[in-house]
Amino acid sequence: MLVQDIMTRQVVAIGPDMPIKDVNALMEQRNIRHFPILESGGSGPARLTGEAPDDAVDRLVGIVSDRDLRLVGAEHPMAPAGVAAVDPVRRVMVSPVLTAHPLDPIEETAKTLREHKIGAMPVMDGDRLVGIVTGIDMLDALVRMSGVYEAATRLEVEVPNRPGALASLLAAIAERKHNVSSVMTSRADAESVTFVLRVSTVDGRRLAHHLRDAGFVVLWPIDKTPTS
Amino acid sequence: MSEGAAPSGGSTPSVRFVYDASLAAYELAPEHPFRPERLELTRTLLEATGALDREAYADVGPLTERELARVHATRYIDAVKRASRGDAGDEAYAFGLGTGDNPVFPNMHEAVLRVCAATVSAVELVASGAATRAVNLAGGLHHAMHAKASGFCVYNDLALGIRRAVDAHGLRVAYLDLDVHHGDGVQWLFYDTPDVMTIGLHESGRYLFPGTGHTYETGRGPGRGLAVNMPLEPFTEDASFLEAFETVVPRALEAFRPDLIVLQAGADMHRDDPLADLSVSLAAMGASYRRVVELSEALTGGRLVATGGGGYDPYRTVPRAWSLLWAAVAGVTLPERVPETWRERWAGSSALPLPETMVDDPSSWPPVPRRATVSSHNRAVAARLMEVLETIWAERGTDAEATRHDDREGPG
Ligand SMILES: [Zn+2]
Repeated sequence: MLVQDIMTRQVVAIGPDMPIKDVNALMEQRNIRHFPILESGGSGPARLTGEAPDDAVDRLVGIVSDRDLRLVGAEHPMAPAGVAAVDPVRRVMVSPVLTAHPLDPIEETAKTLREHKIGAMPVMDGDRLVGIVTGIDMLDALVRMSGVYEAATRLEVEVPNRPGALASLLAAIAERKHNVSSVMTSRADAESVTFVLRVSTVDGRRLAHHLRDAGFVVLWPIDKTPTS
Repeated sequence: MSEGAAPSGGSTPSVRFVYDASLAAYELAPEHPFRPERLELTRTLLEATGALDREAYADVGPLTERELARVHATRYIDAVKRASRGDAGDEAYAFGLGTGDNPVFPNMHEAVLRVCAATVSAVELVASGAATRAVNLAGGLHHAMHAKASGFCVYNDLALGIRRAVDAHGLRVAYLDLDVHHGDGVQWLFYDTPDVMTIGLHESGRYLFPGTGHTYETGRGPGRGLAVNMPLEPFTEDASFLEAFETVVPRALEAFRPDLIVLQAGADMHRDDPLADLSVSLAAMGASYRRVVELSEALTGGRLVATGGGGYDPYRTVPRAWSLLWAAVAGVTLPERVPETWRERWAGSSALPLPETMVDDPSSWPPVPRRATVSSHNRAVAARLMEVLETIWAERGTDAEATRHDDREGPG
């Protein structure tokens, strides 16, 4: 999955000269926590990318989040010195900006967000702002990748860490005519890998039984004996 | 008289057992865990105990394809019919047909339509006032989706029954699902419907099919707050199950004020069910069924429809569980011992020895792992669930109040 598959394409952008208090109000009003800042926006109103034909020449000069604005004007040791709510947002914006490319794999982007402890990244195609991607978008993508929207049973299977091990596991499941809606790695070392699979069957225990018979180490579901 | 059932006092309301032999034709495959024999096993056990009279039987009425199409996509119905005739194409797979769980069998469409007709008949009997309560043990196909077979279920008889009650009779319906698996099909079909509340207690989707039924699934739009999900930890035992039931179900029903309760009583919550992981006994399952009857007496004028559902220990657990269900619904007491005549009749078919008593003894079972953690976890989840729902219900109440106010002031 790539950034372009999960990013928000209609981005609300502002200019560097918008007063901080207006930015605050805009965040509240539109329920948005991050605004990319475009040079040509000046002190004018916020706009959606794609609205103006001169987007191509709009230079991204910064980004501002609710975190950057929270302490403006407050009596607080961490408050930005000498900045008031009437000042332009360029006084508190973060620059230069970490950006993503539409074709970046999302796991790379997630790693960057975490490493720099930031909540969002503008997505740039060359010089052009084409979207924004946030931590919440990442979580949504993860949920989709884990296949939880398909009715399925969760199976945990440990296989040797060597070529073909996963293929033979999937073949054994296909033999029982069950569909696999997702495969994820939950743990791996030099010897073995534990896969979490979501399989479209109610009877996960019977499937586990067949897999054990075929020599696989099934960690969930566990076996069960009836009471006598 | 030791083997006979006796009315537990008071005037017996009219309670019907919707049944005919055609319902057993819903057999997915000979080796399939979903066993239609469960019907005959239960019916003969009930007759042996004297709990089921001839007069209680009710016929299965008709169900048109037009009504079927109120719940299922016509392209899906067509695919089921084609598969049923033996020409399932490649597209069948996209509809969940021809899989390990839902293999195609001859006359599948007719067989499952019959099961659906039986549940709709049960609803019709109760909604029209011809009966107070009605049961269809062949029903309970709660996983079937709008355009997809899933989890052994081809058409959703429960959704069809609920639609009949809502559309033809204008009733508000509370659907209560006590199957160990989350009733995802019914939930999604009514997820944004204001006339239907779905309530389910089930093993957590983190461990069991279908993987949904989380507390945060609470309904959408006009149905917000009307999906109630109480996931239970694996190895949940009687006391914790009943505690969770009491925390969630009475209050949810009270908040919704239904006209009819539809109960899906899958028997797979039991300790011996081979497909799931809860440790509930027959005694607790029976207690929960009796409680549902009590709640329907208090809240819906007694109107209750009950179906079967899952249950994959067909000889030992299911017939006893569903006998307890019928006994609760019919207001009769079962004998303590399983009648010898029944045991003799079925002994040759069961791989394991048939039980001697109508309920089992959980104190003889091996202790479950993490017992204290399981109960305290369930308790915390139930408390948090109710906290969230109470907030939504309070908003709904205010909205409903406002709507009523508007109605009064608006033009006549
Ligand atoms: Zn079930």
